Amino acid sequence: MEVQKEAQRIMTLSVWKMYNSRLQRGGLRLHRSLQLSLVMRSAREVYLSAKLEEDEEGRLGPQPGPAEEGAGQTPSGDLPPATPAPGAGRQPARGGSLPPPGKASRKRRSSSLDKPGAAEAGLVPTKKARLEAEEEEGERQPQGQDGPFPSLAKVLQTRFSGMLRGGPAKGPEPTPGCRPGDGVLSILVRAVVAF
Amino acid sequence: HLTVILTASDIISTVEFNHTGELLATGDKGGRVVIFQREQESKNQPHRRGEYNVYSTFQSHEPEFDYLKSLEIEEKINKIRWLPQQNAAYFLLSTNDKTVKLWKVSERDKRPEGYNLKDEDGRLRDPSMITMLRVPVLRPMDLMVEATPRRVFANAHTYHINSISVNSDYETYMSADDLRINLWNFEITNQSFNIVDIKPANMEELTEVITAAEFHPHHCNTFVYSSSKGTIRLCDMRASALCDRHSKFFEEPEDPSNRSFFSEIISSISDVKFSHSGRYIMTRDYLTVKVWDLNMENRPIETYQVHDYLRSKLCSLYENDCIFDKFECVWNGSDSVIMTGSYNNFFRMFDRNTKRDVTLEASRENSKPRAILKPRKVCVGGKRRKDEISVDSLDFSKKILHTAWHPSENIIAVAATNNLYIFQDKVN
Repeated sequence: MEVQKEAQRIMTLSVWKMYNSRLQRGGLRLHRSLQLSLVMRSAREVYLSAKLEEDEEGRLGPQPGPAEEGAGQTPSGDLPPATPAPGAGRQPARGGSLPPPGKASRKRRSSSLDKPGAAEAGLVPTKKARLEAEEEEGERQPQGQDGPFPSLAKVLQTRFSGMLRGGPAKGPEPTPGCRPGDGVLSILVRAVVAF
Repeated sequence: HLTVILTASDIISTVEFNHTGELLATGDKGGRVVIFQREQESKNQPHRRGEYNVYSTFQSHEPEFDYLKSLEIEEKINKIRWLPQQNAAYFLLSTNDKTVKLWKVSERDKRPEGYNLKDEDGRLRDPSMITMLRVPVLRPMDLMVEATPRRVFANAHTYHINSISVNSDYETYMSADDLRINLWNFEITNQSFNIVDIKPANMEELTEVITAAEFHPHHCNTFVYSSSKGTIRLCDMRASALCDRHSKFFEEPEDPSNRSFFSEIISSISDVKFSHSGRYIMTRDYLTVKVWDLNMENRPIETYQVHDYLRSKLCSLYENDCIFDKFECVWNGSDSVIMTGSYNNFFRMFDRNTKRDVTLEASRENSKPRAILKPRKVCVGGKRRKDEISVDSLDFSKKILHTAWHPSENIIAVAATNNLYIFQDKVN
């Protein structure tokens, strides 16, 4: 559990760093982006395997999709967040699924309601139209390869949308100074292809 | 012991002695280059023998803007490399993220006087007033050191330049960015040869980048480059025009007991340097310095722990971005001692023969002129002795990334943020 929390914290921190690196002078640095994505991937693997163990101890059911769609407006940021596929709030069919940090996608589950930040993190964006628009801009590369970037983009799309939309973290994130980046996902997708 | 502390107005980003050690160049974040010159030995002032004073200061690079990508190009000087001296002038290469420049630094201590067509102020004389011809003569003037940009090598790098290295043929040099290495001729600025290209066809398959590169000190066909995965490749330019296939591949198997979230990134090599002899290469990763024999590819011959007490703190160092710090490493003139920096303004020296190591600190409080530096020690646990400093008290904002060693004497230059320390070993 601790391992899972730590992995989650590191993933969140990495996303925030990636977002911030975009803002620094000189622009994105390829080496730094690569390093951040490597840490992300390690943390994600640890998180997933820890989650798998937890799941085996008896999971709660899949997420209700519709309740979590649509409501979130991005608090700020010039870039529209590239949102996940609709119903991302639902637990995907494949194993080792991962709720957004803060375990807040389980909005309807009583076990999650007492966790702080559950409500706002449940605002999972599902603006599929927006996602498609970004694809049409030609910024998305075909997924499926095994390099660090596609897994990062995938992870962010399916796992962190709630965190990204949640605004300033009032959730249980213990990381000091770790804020979810608004519109991070689209930035990251663009970051990958910018080079 | 310390002889000089100089405070730059900006964070020093590179330090380099020239081939004789007479000159020391520093580059900073503001794009400026400051060159120091060692005073000649004089019988009148023996105690000032060998001190370094400012010789020349110039603005090498300015901030630029890439309009196509809407990105600012930093003026920070990433590296300076000297050319060997071939005439009275000095030449050096300085580079920022995108552009390499060749600078000529020359002295002027004579001025021609007695022109026919203009007077001493430079104003043109009325030709009708000139009644006789004279030959201008050179008269002494106050020494003036001027730096002029002789070549600008631009628009050859898509990614950020991390290294430059002058070839032993003194006619060519290379510049390396994250994915490519280009070979230049000093005389030609509008073309370069691409000799290494590790950019994958699909950027999503990118797994490693080039972190440093250097030419062999004697063999003009050989160079090495290091990667973010902790590997070093040695290439021979005679083998093919594009050196994508290495001649040698240096990699140490990973120690599985050290795996963590951050194992991959702390194995990234931040600096690679050939020994003066050309037989060895030294690499620096986040926690260690390694010496490799060119004839043995499967593991280094020596590994030195710089600050292993940080291994348990990697998560905090990730949080404060220190884990991304790129430390450099240097050989002394005889390749018997290696030096690298650490945090809290500490720097470390390792004697390869005696296997002894020492930690020293570059700080104003501890350094008075001609005072002897006291070895420092970091306490890793348990009872902290007097004079020791505990890991948690280390100041991670005070990092020594750049150091330089005089090519033949025991004089070192240590850059601590915006202060330059020059230490000399005087055996009296």
